[in-house]
Amino acid sequence: MLRFGEKTVVFDGGFGSELEKRGLTGTPEDLNIDAPEIVKEIHLSYAAADAVTTNTFGLNPIKYHGKYSLREVAEKAVENARAAKKPVFFDVGPTGMLIEPTGPLGFEQAYECYRELAEATKDLPDGYILETFSDLYELKAAILAFKDVTSLPLIASMTFDKTGRTLSGASPEIVANTLEGLGVTALGINCSLGPRELLPTVERLLRAATLPVIVQPNRGLPKLKDGKTVYEMPAEEFYREAEKMVEMGVSIIGGCCGTDPEIISLLARLSGREVKKRPVAPVTAINSGSRLVIIDGVKICGERLNPTGKKALKEALLAEDYDYLIDEAIRQQEAGADMLDLNCGLPQIDEKRIMLGAVKKIQELCDLPLQLDSSDPEAIEAAARAYNGIPLINSVNGERDVMERIFPIAKKYGAVVLGLTMDKNGVPKTARERVEIAKRIISTAESFGIPRHKIMIDTLVLTASAEQPLVRVTLEALSEVRKLGVKTALGVSNVSFGLPNRPLINRVFLSAAMERGLNMPIMNPLDGEMSGAVAAYRVLSCEDENAADYIALYRDFTPSGSASVGAKKPAETSAESLYDCVKLGLKSKVAELAKEEISRRGALGTVNDVLIKALDEVGRLYEQGKLFLPQLISSAEAAKTAFAEVTRSLPAGTSSKGRVVLATVMGDVHDIGKNIVKVVIQSYGWEVKDLGRDVPPEKVLEAVKTFRPDAVGLSALMTTTVPSMEKTIKLLKENGCTAKIFVGGAVLNAETAEKIGADYYTPDALAMAKKLDEVFGK
Amino acid sequence: MNSSELSAVLPAVYNYLGFRGIGKTEETDRLIADCIEKLETKIQFNYLYKFYDSPPPFLDKEPYRSFLSGSRGVILSATTLGAGVDRYISRLFRVDMTEAAVTDACASALLERMADDYEKTIAPDLSYRFCPGYGGSSVDDLRPLFEELKPEKIGIYLGETCFMLPAKSMAGVIAVGKSAKKSCRGCFMAGSCEYLKEGRKCYVSEKKQ
Repeated sequence: MLRFGEKTVVFDGGFGSELEKRGLTGTPEDLNIDAPEIVKEIHLSYAAADAVTTNTFGLNPIKYHGKYSLREVAEKAVENARAAKKPVFFDVGPTGMLIEPTGPLGFEQAYECYRELAEATKDLPDGYILETFSDLYELKAAILAFKDVTSLPLIASMTFDKTGRTLSGASPEIVANTLEGLGVTALGINCSLGPRELLPTVERLLRAATLPVIVQPNRGLPKLKDGKTVYEMPAEEFYREAEKMVEMGVSIIGGCCGTDPEIISLLARLSGREVKKRPVAPVTAINSGSRLVIIDGVKICGERLNPTGKKALKEALLAEDYDYLIDEAIRQQEAGADMLDLNCGLPQIDEKRIMLGAVKKIQELCDLPLQLDSSDPEAIEAAARAYNGIPLINSVNGERDVMERIFPIAKKYGAVVLGLTMDKNGVPKTARERVEIAKRIISTAESFGIPRHKIMIDTLVLTASAEQPLVRVTLEALSEVRKLGVKTALGVSNVSFGLPNRPLINRVFLSAAMERGLNMPIMNPLDGEMSGAVAAYRVLSCEDENAADYIALYRDFTPSGSASVGAKKPAETSAESLYDCVKLGLKSKVAELAKEEISRRGALGTVNDVLIKALDEVGRLYEQGKLFLPQLISSAEAAKTAFAEVTRSLPAGTSSKGRVVLATVMGDVHDIGKNIVKVVIQSYGWEVKDLGRDVPPEKVLEAVKTFRPDAVGLSALMTTTVPSMEKTIKLLKENGCTAKIFVGGAVLNAETAEKIGADYYTPDALAMAKKLDEVFGK
Repeated sequence: MNSSELSAVLPAVYNYLGFRGIGKTEETDRLIADCIEKLETKIQFNYLYKFYDSPPPFLDKEPYRSFLSGSRGVILSATTLGAGVDRYISRLFRVDMTEAAVTDACASALLERMADDYEKTIAPDLSYRFCPGYGGSSVDDLRPLFEELKPEKIGIYLGETCFMLPAKSMAGVIAVGKSAKKSCRGCFMAGSCEYLKEGRKCYVSEKKQ
């Protein structure tokens, strides 16, 4: 069999172009049955390669719409490929659908699709090659499916653009970390560009990957000639570029679009060469779909997505209000967190379901890698599976049964695992005992096939108020654990429970711990003092080269100013009054000025005499064209902040003018207009339930029933989605909805609005705010 | 982006933001420049096209016939700023609405500009991009266009109701060897267009022929 990573292996070249040369058209996969002799002839023409791939790129249950069953095609395809008398790799391509969250294809749907293909083919080939994937998430689904069904070699290969990223934004380092974590046999690059253009990306991949690397470039860049796409790179030139790659350490070389038997015959000269050894040091790294964090130096893990002691987060989890979690995630990212802890553990909830929902929602809008924090293995597995990347699992401890439940999950999904130095006897009182537990965790992990660099150790912080002598034990254990070759973590702020001026204790402890080798403080990144200490330490430890990050962070720092991290916006023009701040859209002072106004005029006086007047003036200027959209939105945001203060000052439920449900209708994803409407009508004092975009009629109805709004606002940007809007209105009316229905969007006008049964058409956000006030007499 | 490139793209950004001639400030200029600088790090521009000596069958109807008459060929094209831009704008809507709205407008303007620039490298004598939905054509024509071109290769997908993902994507038809200017004539929005009511147009500049 082929010795990937030891001897250079040559794969075959383009198949579609060879079929085209022979005048064959139609569904390429069906040709395995309809024109087997020609397909065999092509395979034979590639017999100089060490391995051939089947003519099955589009053969998966989602993409294939040919005449035969998967099994029928697969059997013939493998049989045809056997004509070359070389090991046969079954060729698997993407589904051709865009996967969630951007697209309609669910992760589990993609998994099921590939699982069906794996089941139908598992006894046929000598291995699989998953190639030309442009989305790492879809590739993850495919790899999991094949690995669940077969133990045959599995090669995974992606396309990259000239910037060195996949179409979904993953760098070569992210691809390497993810695919290695998922346990493929070899990983690499195919299609995309010619060998010359791919070289920088190949170099990066070789520096990042410890597994064998495959490269199958196109035959240069395509050109248009007489209306046809042609690849004209001379075969010898392609060979020379490929040889360079092999000399750099590429293990498997072949061709993609435009390459032919002539090229593969030349590449065969490279077959059997010793693969160049690459000194790639394994790193402790986690990643989302578009961000990699190497846990070295000091990296901040944001702790605020953990309900312990956080009432608002508890309520959000109970209500499945994922928006709250997303906002909290983004706030921590803005404040400088490198990764986020996610804990959804509450006694009253279905933790597995909520954790899964939270992971999916957070990764949609926040690209920081996640630490999945739970004591429920089922919740951890569901989250690790749905996670688009390589997560950190928090946690195991020295108890055998806990490790036996968690390590198989970590192994399957490539996760890094955090081990706590405690066991059934609790937290040891000596550093030596804690280090012993760490050793036990590391060796047990290794017995599960989890290498040392995938383990982190937390030597556990106890409170200085109750266990004062043990604070030093934690730090001593930390130093010793680092000598074991693993990275470390601590929940830093535990140290100060029960003491006054906690931030001071936290900061001093954090500094001491960083000097002892702490890599990942789990802390509140919004605490400027703590984040500032990390930023300063990174300078002093030379992690922040030339203090570039530190200088960027504190460029506008003045000794009397706040040291808060993340508040990097330039100072706004000064404005003395709430009225001016709203009119000019200056958000920073609004809350403070609103409080002053409320204490002076009362809540209603503030609304009537200041906010409404300012908004009226803004509206007048906007209508006259003296202000335009960005200024209108800024004013609306400032007013919204002021209204929040008004609301806080009144008994619950007494400040809102009324309720509005907003949605961009099903089939439409253009929601900028709806988003602007949301902030503007909120600034006018309306409470909004925003259902998002591409919202099915049934979901609007459900929201109307539960939220009981005064009005429903529907938006559509495309002519094709106006029928969807009409359907939504019809469903609402059939079900006795009494809320007034407002519609808006580029393709609508008053006439269309009336025709589809809406009550009002408003051309823009301000018009809707005014119409709401008019209709409801506010 | 240097200052002359920025000046070239500013009018389109203002146009998308509904700027009506007054109210423009230096602060807004700075905000736009800042938004573009951050946006540029998120852009993964891709362009795909296919040339035809004679138009594919789905273009054998009005208004495409008139648009293509007198040309010596036709190009089907699709272009995108990539999924990262969509994610970035969605995230901004949670952080700063103003920046989000301005960035959205900048992205639309940059997509047009980058596509125009790319097309100049294909051939010197191309018309503007006629996108299904323009000039009395149906947005449903995106379906056969996608069948022909397969823009999934560069990460553009067509939804059931003919929306494109990523949202900052365009797909259209270009006449080769023919000078054709954009016009409001025949646009399905002509009756209710807010721009036209104010004596403006929804597009800013013509590509040099």
